[in-house]
Amino acid sequence: MPPPMPGQKLELPGVKYIIAVASGKGGVGKSTVAANLALALHMHGQRVGLMDADIYGPSVPMMFGLGLVDQTKTPFPIEKFGLSLMSMGFLVDPNQAIIWRGPKVAQAVGSFLGQINWGELDFLIIDLPPGTGDAQLTLSQAAPLTGALIVTQPAEVSLIDARKGVRMFEEVRVPILGIIENMSYLIATDGSKHTPFGSGGGKKLANEIGVPFLGEIPIDQMVSTCGDSGEPIVRKYPDHPVSKAYTELAATMLREVPKLAVGGLPAVDLG
Amino acid sequence: MTAGTAQPLKPLSLKKDGDGLRIEWNDGATTFAPFRALRKSCPCASCTEDVGKPIDPFRVLSAQEAAAGAPVPVGMKPVGFYAYQITWNDGHDTGIYPLELLRSLGENVSPR
Repeated sequence: MPPPMPGQKLELPGVKYIIAVASGKGGVGKSTVAANLALALHMHGQRVGLMDADIYGPSVPMMFGLGLVDQTKTPFPIEKFGLSLMSMGFLVDPNQAIIWRGPKVAQAVGSFLGQINWGELDFLIIDLPPGTGDAQLTLSQAAPLTGALIVTQPAEVSLIDARKGVRMFEEVRVPILGIIENMSYLIATDGSKHTPFGSGGGKKLANEIGVPFLGEIPIDQMVSTCGDSGEPIVRKYPDHPVSKAYTELAATMLREVPKLAVGGLPAVDLG
Repeated sequence: MTAGTAQPLKPLSLKKDGDGLRIEWNDGATTFAPFRALRKSCPCASCTEDVGKPIDPFRVLSAQEAAAGAPVPVGMKPVGFYAYQITWNDGHDTGIYPLELLRSLGENVSPR
């Protein structure tokens, strides 16, 4: 299959729902949320794919204990823990920097969507890079996105950029499924609750833009330990409080996503 | 689960009507935008950059531009959920027209 042309609308007939996980800001835990949410949906019996659209800084390979593969012998997407995975990190050595201008990024994202045989899926979760640039625009124009989840930290500095992400999706008319507040609080060994990044930011943003607040995910060292060791927390410790937060989020999505019926635009009769 | 409760603006049908585009919208309005106005308001980077610049009297038209005559779209395809990309008979095809722009360039007319 040839790579999609810029602006070409891609059809993924076997995929029911395509969900973008986004934020304006980097470092808020988008990839962690995307990976754990994908696994939580799978644990609810769904067929799930996870596409890492962060071309410059792919995280999916490490989180799933994978790395560079021989492209000539490996069929994509790669199957792991029941998910179908695709990432730039499978194609390029992690020590090698990807120094590309925007159009190449857009082409790579388009190829991941259009040239990979995703097969039959209930959900394709797309882990977006930070910002409102080429990857986001390509997806908004070419992919039949069902909706976007916005991840933020409670801190105002994160909300500033999250608002930009929300505005971008509003501009291109991709429905916002809701706001997830990551790193909301931590519970110390003495049981006391701490909010190092402030509190209430995610709820504030959700109220401001009139979308649901989907929940708070606490800070816990186990999250990064599991991610770095190649088995996300939802799979490794499904009964952990953080995993339960993801399981609830997945349940909410299963309930709410089918209600979103964004019809495409009609064809033009130029007679 | 989407922002706001109002139904977002959406075209129900788009049809060539003489020298313009007739659009029926989901709020009950019908608009007519002349192709000349649409072509003149192309929102692409090169066209918007040219706005306000003096006309270059020495610019040589390409054969396709010279043969094109009055602007007529030869293709118009949806872009995501928010815009249409128009391919004109002069070969220009980089303009992506958001729905709001299509609406603002049209005059309200009575539905047929």
